[in-house]
Amino acid sequence: MKKVVGTKVKRLDAYEKVTGKAIYGDDINLPKMLHAAVRHADIPAGKILKIDTTKAKNLKGVVSVLLHDDIPTVKKVGPIRRDHNVIVKDSVHFIGDVIAIVAAETLETARKAADLIEIEYEEEQGIFDPREALKPESKLIHPEYKSNLVVHYPLRKGNVEEAFEKAESSDDEIIFERDYKTPYQEHAAIEPEVVIAEPNHQVKGVDVYGSIQNPFTTRKVVSIFTDLKLNQVNIIGSTMGGSFGGKDDIINVMACRAVALSLATNRPVKLAYTREQAMKEGYKRHPYFLNYKLAVNKNGKIKAMKINIVADSGAYSSQSFFVTWRSVVQATGPYEIENVQTDIKAAYTNKPYTAAFRGFGSPQIIFAQESMMDELANELGLTPYEIRKINGFKQGSKTASGQALTEHKVSLMEVIDIALEKADYHNKLKEFEKYNKTSRRFKKGIGFSCSYRGSSLGAEGVDTTSAIVSVQADGSSYIMTGLNENGQGLRTTYAMVVAETLGCTMEDIQFLTSQTANIADGGPTVASRGTIAGGNAVKDACDKIKANIFSVIKETFNVTEMTELVWADNKITNPQTKQEINFADAVQMTLNEGINTSAYGWWKSPDVSWDKETGQGNAYFTYVYGCQVAETQVDTSTGKIDMLNMVAAHDLGRVINRTGAEGQVYGGVAQGIGYGLLENYSVQNGIVKSENFDEYLLPTIKDIPNIDAILVENPDKYGPYGAKSLGEPTLELGAAAINNSVKFALKKKYNANPLTLERVFLGKDLVKKVRQSEVVSKERCEVPNINSKSNSETVPEKTTDRVSDINITVAKTLKEALEIMSNKKHWIISGGTDVIVQLRKEKYHKELLDISQIKELKITNEIDGNIVIGSACTFSSLIDNELIQKHYPLFIDGISLIGSTQIRSRATIGGNLVNAAPCADSVPSLFVYDASVKIESTEGSKIVKLSDFILGSYKNILGENEILTQIIIPIPKDKKYYRYFFKLGRRNALNITRMSIATMMSFDDNNKIDEVYIMPGSVFAKFQRLTNLEEFLVGKEFTTDLIEKVIALLDEKLESEIGGRWSSPYKIPVFKNMLRDALLTILEEK
Amino acid sequence: MNKIKVSFKVNNKDYEIETTPLRRLLDILREDLKLMGTKEGCGEGECGACSVLIDGELSLACITPATQLEGKEILTIEGISDKDGEPSYIQKAFIDKGAVQCGFCTPGFVMATHKYIKDGGSNDETKIKEALSGNFCRCTGYAKIVDGVKEAIVRHNDKEAK
Ligand code: FES
Ligand code: FES
Repeated sequence: MKKVVGTKVKRLDAYEKVTGKAIYGDDINLPKMLHAAVRHADIPAGKILKIDTTKAKNLKGVVSVLLHDDIPTVKKVGPIRRDHNVIVKDSVHFIGDVIAIVAAETLETARKAADLIEIEYEEEQGIFDPREALKPESKLIHPEYKSNLVVHYPLRKGNVEEAFEKAESSDDEIIFERDYKTPYQEHAAIEPEVVIAEPNHQVKGVDVYGSIQNPFTTRKVVSIFTDLKLNQVNIIGSTMGGSFGGKDDIINVMACRAVALSLATNRPVKLAYTREQAMKEGYKRHPYFLNYKLAVNKNGKIKAMKINIVADSGAYSSQSFFVTWRSVVQATGPYEIENVQTDIKAAYTNKPYTAAFRGFGSPQIIFAQESMMDELANELGLTPYEIRKINGFKQGSKTASGQALTEHKVSLMEVIDIALEKADYHNKLKEFEKYNKTSRRFKKGIGFSCSYRGSSLGAEGVDTTSAIVSVQADGSSYIMTGLNENGQGLRTTYAMVVAETLGCTMEDIQFLTSQTANIADGGPTVASRGTIAGGNAVKDACDKIKANIFSVIKETFNVTEMTELVWADNKITNPQTKQEINFADAVQMTLNEGINTSAYGWWKSPDVSWDKETGQGNAYFTYVYGCQVAETQVDTSTGKIDMLNMVAAHDLGRVINRTGAEGQVYGGVAQGIGYGLLENYSVQNGIVKSENFDEYLLPTIKDIPNIDAILVENPDKYGPYGAKSLGEPTLELGAAAINNSVKFALKKKYNANPLTLERVFLGKDLVKKVRQSEVVSKERCEVPNINSKSNSETVPEKTTDRVSDINITVAKTLKEALEIMSNKKHWIISGGTDVIVQLRKEKYHKELLDISQIKELKITNEIDGNIVIGSACTFSSLIDNELIQKHYPLFIDGISLIGSTQIRSRATIGGNLVNAAPCADSVPSLFVYDASVKIESTEGSKIVKLSDFILGSYKNILGENEILTQIIIPIPKDKKYYRYFFKLGRRNALNITRMSIATMMSFDDNNKIDEVYIMPGSVFAKFQRLTNLEEFLVGKEFTTDLIEKVIALLDEKLESEIGGRWSSPYKIPVFKNMLRDALLTILEEK
Repeated sequence: MNKIKVSFKVNNKDYEIETTPLRRLLDILREDLKLMGTKEGCGEGECGACSVLIDGELSLACITPATQLEGKEILTIEGISDKDGEPSYIQKAFIDKGAVQCGFCTPGFVMATHKYIKDGGSNDETKIKEALSGNFCRCTGYAKIVDGVKEAIVRHNDKEAK
């Protein structure tokens, strides 16, 4: 008999996705559809004095411009507190507030019109720290609520004060206190947010499509906003390009805007966000400030825990009520503690608001509490394992909220043991300890973290969901559910439940996209409840159908109990008599009797409870347990961390689809690695600095190590086939495990994530001090510009992000190009990797000249002892070029690390040099090889040294009418050169260079240094070789002593030239390390 | 705004279109040719969701202007399937190995894999990762994508051997 549950099953929707046929929100275009755009605020806090829409309205193609007062109905929405204006009236609460919405015939026109709206503000000083916001003297962000406090959850168990008093007077106990801080995290689903609204005349209402995570929530919000009845609003979700909790509240307000425009124009309207808009306005994971204070017996038993947490809710309350509630339940971690006092408060600030994100209030507390457990163990001379064994939950333990864990298998120690064994943790501790004693530069670490997590919504709200299963006369069936496929694989899981329960095959099951009009409100797809809630509802429907069929076939089989028959492989069998009926025949028989073979499934969670005053109660009906182990390697020269391995063991009750479950683990672990190491959504004085993926660093494929996914099964009595939840726990543990691993490697402690280079190296952040009024322009490199961008005035940012209305002239020959330039200054475009990206952000228009088709500029040749490279040669063509490989290996080292395959196949060497970014990766090695460039105009040509061509950050000597046409590099002498190139960045691919070093050396017959070149990248304001260091080295014997002497020289130079900069406390020592590593590597190689 | 005429091939079909010079290939594909399989994730050359092949080079449609399309041969996800319209061996390997979750990044990954295998890419994990390092996936943690690519290489080699 074929079992379905627990096997590896292919996704139902994989075919349309791999072929590009799946229809996502932005792929929907309706007849006569208008395109919408929003106008975001330009300041983080203040009053709106005047809005002038004249120019926008006069733009050809604009159909409607709406302001707050144009909306006839309810204007504010919000899940608990309606504090969120869909279009703000006269005050701005954060930079992502929407002041006006526009609909036009084309997207381009709509976005342009949005830019043309003129707004006068009276800017006010914003509040950017939630702790600040809670001070009594602070200005009120939403005065109508009389306080900046959004919510406060207390939890009281036992008597904490008494326990602390006792600890203070006892020799056997200590008091242990720690502070932690966690950052914003952006969901960064690769599909940006989009909604489409269309009038539905039949119901005098609207239909809404798009990337909608929770259709029923969207329906409710739209209904409130428009005053339409629920049955006049139909939400039809599209294929979701990822969500992770991110396409909820933001989509709801976007839906309201699209609906408002659709109703105003009586036409379909699509509102699609660019990545920048989505990152600016969309909500994030809450930043937390956490303080933990413990009373601990010296043998390791925690007697009391006092926890104070302040969460940053941002401009709106949104889901803060729910997110922080989960935190208060789970804040102690999976440890049994007699006396607990927890207070968590969420407060308004003038920053992007915060709400649901996979993990939902747990990654923050786990980062703190699991980091703390390791530090505590260290303090007491125990191992991280021992401290958890002493305090960890066992069967029957009582949680902080007083809930006895008796109704499910408490598998905390089981998952820890399994994970540690898989990771070979205990041996590696010793092995790495030994390795670290001898390794100079790299240190290895291993660390773990563990958690428990309540499944589904718990006492957060009513916890129900719906499903429809409809079996057709031929035995095939449809499923519809009230929960949503967001990419996680729910449909496949549900189909498996149907196949398992009814014994039919997966191929015979179709999943219908649910609409809110076709099924009962299934609640939100959140809290990892997809499997446990939706799976139960699907099973409920199947059980009803099964009972109906059974009522007919039992006579044929001559049985009385359902359990006497086996339903599998499309057959119903009596194992006793071997009698069997095809499933389809059984269905037909049932229908012939006039009995229904379709059913509505419903699930309601078992009872839970919560006392708001004391924080006591049975918060969730069941819990899951997980443990992750991180292995890392730290470069002590720079603070860069590389992941070596991750082990993730999760008790999920029961595996339904093994492929899907493993995918959830890998995906969640990767997001946890991002949270631990890379992702830092930066908001400075209320201004969003991380607007796109160049600044918000997602892990690339090269940043994710091998992940061992271990699925531990302890079936739960409440789950369908025993299944519980998995999606969220997989994300919540990584950051803490990584932190513990790095702490082990370096014997230091870190109290904030992500573990950026500075945090690891210096133990603190370095921030450039800026006032709110200084809205700093976007820089792609991390060296401050000495001058503003080359040849351009400062221009305000635009929201258009489209460049179609800029003119390009194409030149086919160099002569033609030079002539065009002699008439009028053009911006030159070749690969477009810099130019197009920059143009998206600039408001005024330039004339472009495309030189990518000029053959002469794409040739590389050997001429008179030089290699001459055409400026329009792409980096991939150079990497593949044998001449370049032969003569300039150091150059190849540098350019191979640029961007990605896609970028290298477009970006050109000329573009890299002309752009003259301090982080340009082709420059350092070209300086070493002493390259020159040829500059041409109709008036003639000249050859200048590259070092004279680049004047500074983003500055070069090119005149108005000139083009850089060639790069000329002398062929080095035919002798043995030692070389070393190192590029420091936070990631392992798609990296922006933080600093780099290119070094080349040769030695004479007496083994003295003959030639030496040392070239830093992104260190000084202007590119320069370190000639004084080179001169010092030449002619000397190459020894470690000499290396230290030259480092001392470097130190002087760095101090005098970049010593005062905000970044120098990191850059100076690290660049010294980089030079030391360079020279030692060459010394070793010699 | 002046318009230009450009002629090019997409998935072996000839097109001549009139458009503004800086119009992105991405918009031409999605809006003019209604080829919706190529996706936009960032619009600035970071995420790889818009990856296509232009004259055999793996390129980003979001930063390729119309002026650079003249005479080019473009291959998109819609042109990847086998002759009979069945998914190609790469696509099948992705399905079989569970390389797809939300699927928004998938067309880009399929294109990058296609390019890698076409260039004779080996089963070496480091090389596979290098070849796919210009594509973000937020759902899968990449593990099963790597499995999918490895499987595709095996199937490709089997095919070649036959
Ligand atoms: S959309 Fe082109 S790289 Fe992201
Ligand atoms: S599958 Fe969702 S982004 Fe890759």
